[in-house]
Amino acid sequence: MATKKLAFVVRSLPYKTEASRLALTHAISSQTVEIYLNDGDLVEASISYVGDGVFNIMKNQQAGKHYGITTNEGHAKNTLLLDLRVLICKEDLDKFGLTGENLIMDADDLGGDMKANIVSYSEIQKEMETADHLLFC
Amino acid sequence: MKLAVLMSDYRTGSDIVDRLSAEKLGIILVGNGVYHAAAKEGGKACAILDKKADFYALTEDFESRGFTADKLDSRVKAVNYGDVVDLIFNDYEKVIWL
Repeated sequence: MATKKLAFVVRSLPYKTEASRLALTHAISSQTVEIYLNDGDLVEASISYVGDGVFNIMKNQQAGKHYGITTNEGHAKNTLLLDLRVLICKEDLDKFGLTGENLIMDADDLGGDMKANIVSYSEIQKEMETADHLLFC
Repeated sequence: MKLAVLMSDYRTGSDIVDRLSAEKLGIILVGNGVYHAAAKEGGKACAILDKKADFYALTEDFESRGFTADKLDSRVKAVNYGDVVDLIFNDYEKVIWL
């Protein structure tokens, strides 16, 4: 039995390009990869937000109202419905004066029981080092 | 010249804005440009806002990103698409996009 570790690291801003949205979508769908693996093999994924990427998980995004599309906020909540580690860089939050109050930290309203974690960059670095596959966008 | 600058990026374009000069300069923050109006790094407002210009931020774009008008820097006026069209046609002679 083998476990493949995937690390998605989001550093780009939302909406202008598809980069951060694709990272979220791929992180969410990564567990479906298991149907292509051998019995007992697993995929373990995490998604981390660093630099400007922390703005992807701001609360109260109104992209649905203005752009007619699902918000990155909604996608971020979906990641918290899965068995997926969600890491947010503390140093970058501090730099922008943001706290967990400003961000999507749980999906309680959707019945999710996972919580996002505010961690130091060194922990995200460790996540990248220990991953078998890394997507940085 | 009366020049309007549509600014849609956060990390690029500031160097060009620094060099622009106009009798009347308007900087309209759209797309990811709205972070110039709403984000503070190290507790400081974006340096671009120190430029002698009139600043506008597109409501649709900052609301889509989770900000509200009260989070904008006091030097920036919230505008909608119609206002932007009026600015371009009524207040400025030339428009550039960064």
